[in-house]
Amino acid sequence: MKRTLLAFIRKEFAQALRDPRMKLILFVMPMIQMTVFGLALSSEIKNIKLASVYAPSDAAARRLAQRFTASGWFLPVAAEGLAPEDLVVSGAADAALVFPAGGFARQAARGRGGVQLLVDGTSVTRARSVEAYARAIFAAHAAAEAGLPVSAAPFGFDVRIIYNPEMESPVFMVPGVMGMIVCLVTIILTSMSLTRERELGTFETIVSAPLENYEILLGKTLPYIVLGLANAALVIAAGFFIFGVPVRGDLWRLFSAALAFVITTVSVGTLISTVSKNQQQAMLGGFIFLFPAVLMSGIMYPVENMPALLKPVVYANPLYYFTTLLRNILLKGGDHAVFVFNMSALAAMAVAAGAAAYGRFRQTLN
Amino acid sequence: MTGFDLHRAAAVARKEVMHILRDPFTLALVLGLPVVLVVFFGFAIDFDVKNLALGVYDRDNTRHSRQLVSVFESSGYFLPGAVDSPAAAARGLDSGRYSAALLVEPGFGRGLGGGGRARVQFIVDGTDNSKAQAVLGYLPGLTGAALRKFGAAVPADPVPLKTRFMYNPELNSRWFVIPGLAVIIIGLLSILMTALTVAREWENGSMELLLSTPLRPAEIIAGKIAPYVGLILAGVFFVNLVARFGFGVPFRGSHLLFLGGTVLFALASLSQGIVISVVTRQQQLAMQLSMISGLLPSLLLSGFIFPVESMPVFFRYFTMILSPRWFMEIARGVTIRGAGAADLALPLAALAALCALLLAAAFKKFKTDLEP
Repeated sequence: MKRTLLAFIRKEFAQALRDPRMKLILFVMPMIQMTVFGLALSSEIKNIKLASVYAPSDAAARRLAQRFTASGWFLPVAAEGLAPEDLVVSGAADAALVFPAGGFARQAARGRGGVQLLVDGTSVTRARSVEAYARAIFAAHAAAEAGLPVSAAPFGFDVRIIYNPEMESPVFMVPGVMGMIVCLVTIILTSMSLTRERELGTFETIVSAPLENYEILLGKTLPYIVLGLANAALVIAAGFFIFGVPVRGDLWRLFSAALAFVITTVSVGTLISTVSKNQQQAMLGGFIFLFPAVLMSGIMYPVENMPALLKPVVYANPLYYFTTLLRNILLKGGDHAVFVFNMSALAAMAVAAGAAAYGRFRQTLN
Repeated sequence: MTGFDLHRAAAVARKEVMHILRDPFTLALVLGLPVVLVVFFGFAIDFDVKNLALGVYDRDNTRHSRQLVSVFESSGYFLPGAVDSPAAAARGLDSGRYSAALLVEPGFGRGLGGGGRARVQFIVDGTDNSKAQAVLGYLPGLTGAALRKFGAAVPADPVPLKTRFMYNPELNSRWFVIPGLAVIIIGLLSILMTALTVAREWENGSMELLLSTPLRPAEIIAGKIAPYVGLILAGVFFVNLVARFGFGVPFRGSHLLFLGGTVLFALASLSQGIVISVVTRQQQLAMQLSMISGLLPSLLLSGFIFPVESMPVFFRYFTMILSPRWFMEIARGVTIRGAGAADLALPLAALAALCALLLAAAFKKFKTDLEP
């Protein structure tokens, strides 16, 4: 019996790898996506179009406006001839700095030199950053004009950023993108496989083979688990060699995290493919799983602030645990308690999803 | 036999409508899913970074150090918890229990009281992009608050800065998230729906049947796309109802302009699906290509959350081939800013160009398939 199973697994493997498109999906596409997302994404707000509105003779205002440009966050745009509101409304500027009409220095000396900052609030994250940058620049400017170094304040923080001291975007983004790619690849490979065989009629041939139910399921999933692991190894290697994302923790921890995650997603994909009546439903099922999983992985926005009512969805998201593990093992060197907790969660999910897929699968067979 | 016959295209459309209606599960999903997802993520996505666990090691334990901790506590951004050693704070950061740590060495209070300068160490976990930058942004405000609390001579703001946030004065995250979310979901569903329709016909062999009829390629494509444009417009209508009356997101611009943009975007996404379908001729591969070209690029590169302006120059140009990036600007511009056609000329033109390009590609590929 065992020989039949092995032969069956070998056959499924050969069948999966024979398709040249499989290599494209497994190896070429992830490299392209890793490179694009790793290089392109950054949550830091830069290149803000700023219009500064002041009289041409106002030297003090010009000095402050130049400080904004010199900060590197802002790009100056011409402000002539338009009301500051209109500059923002037309989208020509993301923000406008409006100095008092009577001369900035004179009004400031009288204690009413209020400067107005108009910010386009359409992008909430950008608007917040613009205000924070402006406050920092104002404080630095005031200190410099008074001839004081900023550090002369009686109190201050010595800030140290650990694990990613240069705040490099790829180090932030790449571990998260890795998880997303492995999740995407395993789901799209498995979520249609059985539905397709049923629709094409090749499923009957397999069922008539001298194999137990669990053996068929094993033969249908094991190749994808192995391929998914290979994919995970590839993206981690790419992160390390191309983006210099450190691998500070143990490789066996990384391997077991990837194994548990891949088993979970392959099982979820298989479950989708057994539940769906046709390939269109299978595809929608894949979408319904992938979309929330990616959005709630903790990469796009902090998931800890979600309303308590919706939190259980985060805790049911395998990608959340995998992302946590990847960040912890790669960047922090792997904390044992974190590993045990998140691994247990992933392992429980792998078992639950595997059992559900098997249960559904048996039902379809009979 | 030449040219485009509206009646024949309508016949294909009728056939496609029957296909859609025959599978009520899929129909309900396509109409209901955008609303469900918008409601769910409308509540779920919040960019506020608050209630961050802060490990506090206070070896000074004077009035001033306690005042400093209370400044953190009352800011609402942090939940301070005491630790007994710097090593414990480091362990807490390792395990992710704390997002930041505050270390106050002895002599801090004395330094402040004596008119000298006092520094404290503040350690930030640099693994989580969504938190680290926010934490750093809070520090200047906290420094000022702490100085006032200590009764120190605060270098008073010589120039008051008054900020006015236009269009969204309260900076409500939902106004930012919901229009963007609608764009992503509608775009993805459009690609997924059409990607399978043509591939299904090839796989089932019914394409040969269609081809043996006097239908022209353009008629088949138009007939395949038209019913889905209707479905998508219905979906957008429901999503807008929920956004306006459920979440109070304003709609300040012209409905007609928004409708025009939506139709262009729907056509572009549906054509993308048709191109994939025509190229692959196989449902599984069509699904894989649509997910790869649709899901992550539209979520990550469209400006939905990660700003396009912050990308390196090459990628700022690269995003121009993505239709959601343009419709994102149109949707947010029309609804939140009340932008007019003149303000949105560039995104509208770009979307129209992409739409024409994709339709032409679908048509051309389809035509070469037909003429052996």
